[in-house]
Amino acid sequence: MALINGGHLVGKYLKEVEKVEIDFGISGGHIESILDGFTEYKIRTIDVRHEQAAAMMGHAWSVYTGKTGVCFVTAGPGFTNALTGIANAYLDNAPLVVLCGRHPLRDDLKGALQEMNQIDMVKPITKWSATCYDIRRIPEYLSIAFRQAQAGRPGPVFLELPPDILNIRVDETEAPMPAYMTRKYTVHPDDAELKAAAEIINDAKKPLFLGGTGVAFSACSDCLQQFVEKTGIPFQLLNYGRGELPDNHPLSIWEVGNVGLTIAIPRADVIIAAGLRFNWILQSGGIIPPETKVVRIDIDPHEIDRNHQADIGLVGDVASVLGQLVPLVEKRDHNQWLNTLKAAGRSFLDFELMMRETVTDPIHPIRMVAQIYKYLGDDAIYIADGGNTTYFGLTGFFSRHRAGVIGTSSGLLGCLGTGIPFAIAAKLARPDKKVLLLNGDGAFGFNSMEFDTMVRHHIPIVCVVNNDCAWGMIKHSQELSIGKDRLQCAELGMRNYEKMVEGLGGYGELVTKDEEIIPALERAFESGKPACINVVTDPKVTSPATPLLHQSLKME
Amino acid sequence: MRFTLLLFILYQILKRAAKKKRVYKNYIGTRQPVRIMIKTADGKRGRLFVFDQGKISSRGGSKHAYDAAIVWSDAKTAFKVMLSMSDEASFLAAAEGKMKLDGMVFFAQWFNDGVKLAI
Repeated sequence: MALINGGHLVGKYLKEVEKVEIDFGISGGHIESILDGFTEYKIRTIDVRHEQAAAMMGHAWSVYTGKTGVCFVTAGPGFTNALTGIANAYLDNAPLVVLCGRHPLRDDLKGALQEMNQIDMVKPITKWSATCYDIRRIPEYLSIAFRQAQAGRPGPVFLELPPDILNIRVDETEAPMPAYMTRKYTVHPDDAELKAAAEIINDAKKPLFLGGTGVAFSACSDCLQQFVEKTGIPFQLLNYGRGELPDNHPLSIWEVGNVGLTIAIPRADVIIAAGLRFNWILQSGGIIPPETKVVRIDIDPHEIDRNHQADIGLVGDVASVLGQLVPLVEKRDHNQWLNTLKAAGRSFLDFELMMRETVTDPIHPIRMVAQIYKYLGDDAIYIADGGNTTYFGLTGFFSRHRAGVIGTSSGLLGCLGTGIPFAIAAKLARPDKKVLLLNGDGAFGFNSMEFDTMVRHHIPIVCVVNNDCAWGMIKHSQELSIGKDRLQCAELGMRNYEKMVEGLGGYGELVTKDEEIIPALERAFESGKPACINVVTDPKVTSPATPLLHQSLKME
Repeated sequence: MRFTLLLFILYQILKRAAKKKRVYKNYIGTRQPVRIMIKTADGKRGRLFVFDQGKISSRGGSKHAYDAAIVWSDAKTAFKVMLSMSDEASFLAAAEGKMKLDGMVFFAQWFNDGVKLAI
């Protein structure tokens, strides 16, 4: 008879059934036996400095690997600290399993340490949440958790494990490991709908393909490439879908950035939107003219007509649906439409294109981003976190890799501080790639203690702080709405963030001149340490995202 | 000359709309100072429009500081496209390199959307 405790059952299930290689979290008394389970089953743990970072890293792990991320947090404050990260994963549809401690069942209503109703708090921001009450059912509950996180539209799930079941032992035969559910169920659109979609696509004169996070989680590169290259449709991949085909693909309109999107959508006669929600970024569908034909592909049928009545709705996994569409669509050439879009986009972006080549003092953030890109090129993983900083990063960086350019705070939660956890997960997932994080100075503050995590775990990323000494987007938005003379909670002042990173054992440099940017990057990457290059940029500069924010909240 | 006159007339229309048209008044209402320049690339013709908390002022000439500028390759194209009031004509002018935006693109778009409300 072999006995095993509940914590070891968790480790065993993760390793043997789900093949989990790595997880993220912070230790805690309530989850000690789980931690020992990780040791027993040789799962790499990245212990962080704040649980929100653990949840964000688990979320990011799913983005960079396509596998479900796992984080572990202890009861009470460990749980509440993780909530922001869980909410972010929920709004981003990212598969994440959150394993959480709990006060003992034995001590319910006795005023136990960290006693609180965690399930009711987490329910609105998870796909599924549960408490396991029986040690013998731990593998079964974990199996349900992983299936819930991955199946259909992905998302975070929450499993609460009390010490009453973690810290006791059971015969292993009484808690068998379920077989890994290798079956993947795909939903297929109706044949008539597929045919009708193909007819619309074949008849289009000025079509546009937009792909979102659903494109990424269906890992549909091959089908997508076949589809766009056969139909000749210009495309833009957004959110985590960016990089499913390289940004420099001849049919991609990323070279003209977000402007490409805003000029293409109102002029397209057919829009094919795959795995993409029509949320506030697309004016909740309002940016699409009523006469434009819309073909929507989504794994969630509720999304098909959300915010815009689709002409055709194809419910299913993006890869599967595109695979079925490819034989039905005809070979087309839309180069004239594509070239017109790109040419107009370049005229609208004339100023930004000029700033990339212009040396200024103080440094213009567009120029700073251009210098970073000049040094790293498209063989790198880029992450941008901030307000204006995200705009500058998303429009100035280009990558040939999946999820190669992500604006982590540009999701629905608009969650500043996500950049550092994402950069850590990116480097862990793709250790052979250079990882560059462009961080606003405001956003830097939320998770910058994770530089300690990077130092302890030898995770060498380079973080460039776009330091405008303010909450830039907020400051410039207030200038528009309230006035320059009445700014409130908008200024941060000059801080030597690079010294903070040096103090934690990383590499740091302060940059104030244009010619210092590239040499500083070279030294930072050569150091082999987690690095921070604190670049002082022009505080007067704002991005088009600022007036958009201002305008979106205007109520008169 | 026609382009210069058109810009002056546009100023008069916007000024009147800011007083008389509620929808436009609300549109520009609380906006803190934003300066929009419309000019030719050679700088020979131009006009600055300044919006400040619902009030509009304007000055002729192209040498003033601005937040965003709509820069036309030549006065003839500018006159023709602006008079057409067509987004598509502006888009095609941009595609042909005859119209470019300088500074904050968003403000130029905001200005153009406002003109549609004012007229």
